[in-house]
Amino acid sequence: MPKLIIDNIAVEVPDGTSVLEAALSVGITIPHFCWHPALGKAGACRVCAVKILEGPVKGIQMSCMLPAQDGMVVSTGDGEAVALRKSVIEWLMINHPHDCPVCDEGGECQLQDFTIAGGHGIRRYDGKKRTHVNQYLGELIEHEMNRCIQCYRCARFYQEYAGGTDFGVLGRADMVYFGRQCDGPLESPFSGNLVDICPTGVFTDRTARFRARYWDYDMAPSLCPHCSLGCNTIPAARYRELLKVMARRNDAVNGWFICDRGRFGNAAVNAPRRPRQPLVDRQPVGWDQALDTLLGRLSEFLELHGPGSLAIVGSPRMSLEGNIMAARLRDLLGAGTICYFGSSKQSEPALEAANSLTPDTAASQADVRSADLIAIVGCDLLEQAPMMALAVRQAWRNGARIYAVDCDQTTSLYAGEVAPALSALPFSEAKQPVIIYGTDHKQPDSSDDAVRSGTKLAFILNGPNDFGCALLAREQGAVPLADALAGGKIKGLLSFEADLTTELPDAVRVLAACDWQPTQLMQRAEVALPATAWIEMEGTFVNNEGRAQRFRQVMPPGLPIRGLGPDGHPPREFRKTAPGSDILPGWRLIADIIERLEGERVDVPLSGRWQKLQGINAEDAGESVL
Amino acid sequence: MIPESLRHELQQRVAQAVTPREAAVDVLKELQAHYGWLSDEAVVEAAAILGLTPLQVEELATFYEMIYRRPVGRTVVHVCDSISCWAMGGETLLSQLEQRLGIMAGGTTADGALTLLPCSCLGNCGDGPALMVSEQLHGPVTLDSALKILGRF
Repeated sequence: MPKLIIDNIAVEVPDGTSVLEAALSVGITIPHFCWHPALGKAGACRVCAVKILEGPVKGIQMSCMLPAQDGMVVSTGDGEAVALRKSVIEWLMINHPHDCPVCDEGGECQLQDFTIAGGHGIRRYDGKKRTHVNQYLGELIEHEMNRCIQCYRCARFYQEYAGGTDFGVLGRADMVYFGRQCDGPLESPFSGNLVDICPTGVFTDRTARFRARYWDYDMAPSLCPHCSLGCNTIPAARYRELLKVMARRNDAVNGWFICDRGRFGNAAVNAPRRPRQPLVDRQPVGWDQALDTLLGRLSEFLELHGPGSLAIVGSPRMSLEGNIMAARLRDLLGAGTICYFGSSKQSEPALEAANSLTPDTAASQADVRSADLIAIVGCDLLEQAPMMALAVRQAWRNGARIYAVDCDQTTSLYAGEVAPALSALPFSEAKQPVIIYGTDHKQPDSSDDAVRSGTKLAFILNGPNDFGCALLAREQGAVPLADALAGGKIKGLLSFEADLTTELPDAVRVLAACDWQPTQLMQRAEVALPATAWIEMEGTFVNNEGRAQRFRQVMPPGLPIRGLGPDGHPPREFRKTAPGSDILPGWRLIADIIERLEGERVDVPLSGRWQKLQGINAEDAGESVL
Repeated sequence: MIPESLRHELQQRVAQAVTPREAAVDVLKELQAHYGWLSDEAVVEAAAILGLTPLQVEELATFYEMIYRRPVGRTVVHVCDSISCWAMGGETLLSQLEQRLGIMAGGTTADGALTLLPCSCLGNCGDGPALMVSEQLHGPVTLDSALKILGRF
């Protein structure tokens, strides 16, 4: 544990920590481009120079390359160091185009920040600049090589961290080029991280090109709803339109990155077909009329068929709050059935996870990254949970042995061996073994129990709130929707953000459906109630390891300005709110229905056993529900 | 397309190497000898022989300056532009050669006989200014002796 002094502040850091990291740990940011916490150092940019006043080495040193050592006295503000950093930035800027006003990175550009911070404000170089021909890298990422400052972050991330083989460094010396062998879409399912990791505008998000500046974005900490891992994101929106999604750091979960599905797969939020208007028998009505009709038809239905023939349907796509409220509505109506999953194929893995995991055995993505033996059981990781595959790759890079049981493991991310059964694996030799179960794995037999003791477990589930739904399903005695329908007793549904996995018999009435997507159930619904998407509300998802995480409201709901042609123009009338902005989160809508039935205001979905989740800060690592 | 015999020979060489990457430069040089330069087709063929992606081969091919990714003349003249040779007049040598051969650095004579390339250190610092013609090192050279070597005096 070396002790050193940085800018008169005494610091003690673990062995192997660089001076740059030691400074960061006490809140001193030394300019840096090539160093990145997830990628480490490269010594390529020379901009993190500091002066070592006392200690084993003296003089100007690159702080990212220099391990902190006992007795060092470091000055980041020494005149010599400041002058060098200023010169380095001037060199880096020599070939950099003066195109900040038309560059999408402007305002969120590390090069811009450090250039200003370094005091290089006036260009002295008036010679010709090095120029490059850009490549077409697909519809998602825009390439502008002239802006490159050769920090090598992109190639290091793409090849080393993410195992991609179609993008790298070409050329040498002053003609280094970062790109593909020829034009074509980037193949890695993690390619979008180049946008986040590039310290300047070489890679920008093509889907959000020329749309808004950083200071215009509506932003908030949010979560990815595309699989069960609960990766942390920062969506950026403007004028009620989701423009792009960036990765948000959470060391316990996704680290610094997200997959391309999470980044680029969110067109449904802006889709013109999104339901934005309450409908009764497909005719537009006001909210009061819609809810009154619903209550009227509901009481007729209950009178005619009895509560036993009504099913309340929640969903792993909906927030925990919504699913808790669905259970309360069920209690109030005395409905015979509550469903949280479409089929037993979806519910079984989630219930197994909820029944098996304990605070000691639940493996986070961070646990997987630091594991030394990983068994992947019945799982196509890249398909079901891409970021987990990236976590396995990090373990593999650190020397972990990877085994595949009951599944195929052909991927460029890591090299695994196929094993016949879990019991054949050398768990006893491993210090931090992890088993990852996919949704397709067979039920573990008793011999698996032996290897599972002392081993951490990760279950890959389907939806963002599968785990939360499994806890509720267990508590409520829920049955999957397909099973409930097969029983033949169900004559009517109240559905909340649910998806059908089987054909819905014509005889079953969809009394009401509430969703932000135009699902089959919304189209069948007698009363269709639009709801807010996750980025338009605050809520909680419980991820595959039982970690409850909060997502905050990124943008207000409403019709996006973009895409409104002369035909789609909203009514030209004076109003204080945006068209389509009178929609509510799913849970709030259920609370409204309960209020109309009961007469009492319902405000707090997270009560009772869920109360401890009330105080989760979206910017923290989350709270275990185990 | 390279002849089957060459492909077979290269595959054997790759099989004997500790890692395929170790044999990569050898394979590139053989393909370059066959085609006269490393064509796009050759990059793809090399990738198949080495079990690498075309990008991974391109990374190597564009790093080494004696792998030519564009067509070159029958003889390639590398003129050192590193510091020792520069101190001994390498810069003047290169510009005089440009004038006398009637081509710019990087160019090829109209008859396709000569390509003139500046290159970084040839490891002949004690005998600067140095140049290399068809893998043969020369130095110290003057304009006259250089042209003699090239048969253009």
